[in-house]
Amino acid sequence: MKHIEKGVGLMSAPRDFIRDLNADNLSAGLVAGIFGLSAGIIHISAGTAAGLPQEFTLLWVISYLMINGLFGLFLPAYYRLPLPMANSIPGALLFAAIIPVVGLNEALGATLIAGAISLVVGLAGMMSLVMRLIPMPIVMGMVAGILLKFGINMVMPLQNAMLPAAVMILSFFFAARYLRPVPPLVVTLLVGVAYMALSGADLSSVEFSVRFPEFIMPAFTLDAFLAYGLPLALILVGMETPAGVGLVKGMGYKEAPANAITALGGFGTMVSAFFNLHSTCIAAPMTGICSGPEAGSHDKRWVAAVVVGIIFVVAAPFYGFVFSLIEAMPSYFIAIIAGLALLRVIGSAMHMTFSGKHEVGAMFSFLIAVSGLQILGIGSSFWALVLGAGLSMLVEFKDFDFGFERPRFRKAG
Amino acid sequence: MRLHQDWSLPAVTAGFVAVLVSYAGPLAIFFQAAQSAEISGAMMTSWVWAISMGAAVSGIGLSLWLRVPVVTAWSAPGTALLVTLFPELSLGEAVGAYLTAASVLLVIGITGSFDRIIRTIPPGIASAMMAGILFQFGVGVFVSLESVPALAIGMLLAYLVFKRLTPRYSLVLLLIVGVVLAVVLEGASLEGVTLALASPQLIRPEWTWQGTLSLAIPLVLVSLTGQFLPGMAILRTSGYNTPARPIVTVASLTSLATACFGGITTVVAAITAAICTSPEAHEDPDKRYVAGVANGVFYLVGGTFAGTIVALFTSLPGEFVAVLAGLALIGAITSNVSAFAAQKDHLEASVITFIATASGMSFLGLGSAFWGVVVGALAYALLHRPLAIPRRRAATENTRR
Repeated sequence: MKHIEKGVGLMSAPRDFIRDLNADNLSAGLVAGIFGLSAGIIHISAGTAAGLPQEFTLLWVISYLMINGLFGLFLPAYYRLPLPMANSIPGALLFAAIIPVVGLNEALGATLIAGAISLVVGLAGMMSLVMRLIPMPIVMGMVAGILLKFGINMVMPLQNAMLPAAVMILSFFFAARYLRPVPPLVVTLLVGVAYMALSGADLSSVEFSVRFPEFIMPAFTLDAFLAYGLPLALILVGMETPAGVGLVKGMGYKEAPANAITALGGFGTMVSAFFNLHSTCIAAPMTGICSGPEAGSHDKRWVAAVVVGIIFVVAAPFYGFVFSLIEAMPSYFIAIIAGLALLRVIGSAMHMTFSGKHEVGAMFSFLIAVSGLQILGIGSSFWALVLGAGLSMLVEFKDFDFGFERPRFRKAG
Repeated sequence: MRLHQDWSLPAVTAGFVAVLVSYAGPLAIFFQAAQSAEISGAMMTSWVWAISMGAAVSGIGLSLWLRVPVVTAWSAPGTALLVTLFPELSLGEAVGAYLTAASVLLVIGITGSFDRIIRTIPPGIASAMMAGILFQFGVGVFVSLESVPALAIGMLLAYLVFKRLTPRYSLVLLLIVGVVLAVVLEGASLEGVTLALASPQLIRPEWTWQGTLSLAIPLVLVSLTGQFLPGMAILRTSGYNTPARPIVTVASLTSLATACFGGITTVVAAITAAICTSPEAHEDPDKRYVAGVANGVFYLVGGTFAGTIVALFTSLPGEFVAVLAGLALIGAITSNVSAFAAQKDHLEASVITFIATASGMSFLGLGSAFWGVVVGALAYALLHRPLAIPRRRAATENTRR
């Protein structure tokens, strides 16, 4: 356990939570929470596309919120850092696609092994080595590339829903300039809801239901591990954790506990495997919202991440209801809110990507992440890191800092 | 006539390399624009003829007149803009927009207001729009990687190796390796490539407000900020204190003349200018103008045999052209993204300009480059422009932090 970073502790967390709660981090937490709830739509559409039963997909999303939310209460509270937990979206797409091929129990068995791998990497303290092989500008290039899609989703509604989109985006700029004590996102949210109410959004399809996660026994096959477990482990260790850690570090939290995040994510993924869920890990877009300047003063942004956990856990049993409510809002509504919430994060991610070292690798990582390139069934964010780091070693090897090279050089000299 | 005394082999070689690089890289973008416009080979030949002649005449004229190695070319970001606008935009509308853009640039040239205009455009917004226009070409490299992995990876590695070993010839060598790979891996046939004289074709211009707003205005902007600005900067850092006025004027007069044959705006070269202005062209800066003249002469040759160049590009797979164009622009994309991302003071407005331009959205028939500038300018005005009462704002800002 010696590699697991020490945190502030959980004893005083509830008291400090009340003390540090303010309008900025509460609103950031709300936005990130709503964003996370809306991410369930990705699961639902992936499940539907793969032909999985509605019943399973709903349980999947409810487990996602309940289990990820519970872990998401602990991690930020223990470290007092904005580290919201959710699951891997690329992992979710992989999971939905593999179930028809290998079977649900077998896929969950592979999930269990992937979680164990991540746990071991975290406990062994190898995360810092992984992150040195893949330098920060390259990680940030990948993050910026992923986030750019959310930015583009924000402006796309200008094409066919010009008026509401323009009203919401302009209200954000306006509030940022002239109503500064109020978080601009809250203004945008209110303006957007007001617009929807006035334009008569149809709420008749909203219905109420209560469900909880259900236990399931994983099974193990080599096929499932190779086709899905191994890529998932790579995604968790090689991408999700570096992306999240890169983001919080970039926001000025230099002491982000990379090993603990990996280990806890691994443990969470192992637990997830028993409840229809494919992973637990740090969530890059939500981390962006919770750790960014929109979340208020630097040392209190952890509250936003805890708020996300609370929203997840509370909303989980009622997700059937939430889902039908989100369905009732036009799809661009959440896209615009998410895009605006991430605007500054995209800016600072790009700032860090292109601030000197590893320029070629960072550019390629950025381009690959945006391109959506898929090789061997593994998505672009993984290749962004691997190819970005590889190409960077090819053309700008001098930018790498392996730490252990210097003493050897001295001896030679 | 001093030219025959100042003549030197390195200067002529520099001019030749500059032309070769332009045909190897930036022309691939123009070719993609032609593909998206679904025009015939003969029309494409006319386009290549027109841009080559524009570059030739203005380059030779300016280099001889000013005794400075002025390398002119067609507006590369302008051609990138075309890719997104065709086929909704008709050829006539494009030519109309070329003429409008050239006239605006001519006015800017004659009045000598180039430097003043450049100063009023926030630098981050300008580079963000440039990066947004060029961005999809970079992404295209990896989109092609999925359909033709061997060719794309081969070209990518060749590009990186050549970039490291000989940056100056990297694009030319990449073209050669790429053609070989396309023939070997993809079975492309070069049988159709023969020497053929170009015959220019006339296009009747057509003016519409969509053409003006989505092509002419962005074209003026990217030509000023993406070509004239870096081009003049290269000349000045190489020690030539040339005024912008004659260069902008002559380049836009040439653009007016070539527009009706499909020639997009002629501008100062940015990608290839440094090849002719560097000491490699000639040790004596006063004799480097020969490189500019030679550059123009080789453009004359290239323009005359435009049909051969077009035949070469059409016989190669589309992915080859996409990868070539993307790799040729990687440097420009990186420098523009770095330029706006490194500037903290109006980062948000720049980012939203970049996002809106790169999104490729269109509304009311207007392209994303136009909307990028509109959204970016709005964001800049609302978020970053100093208020009428700057002192109070500064005070409240400080207490917030």
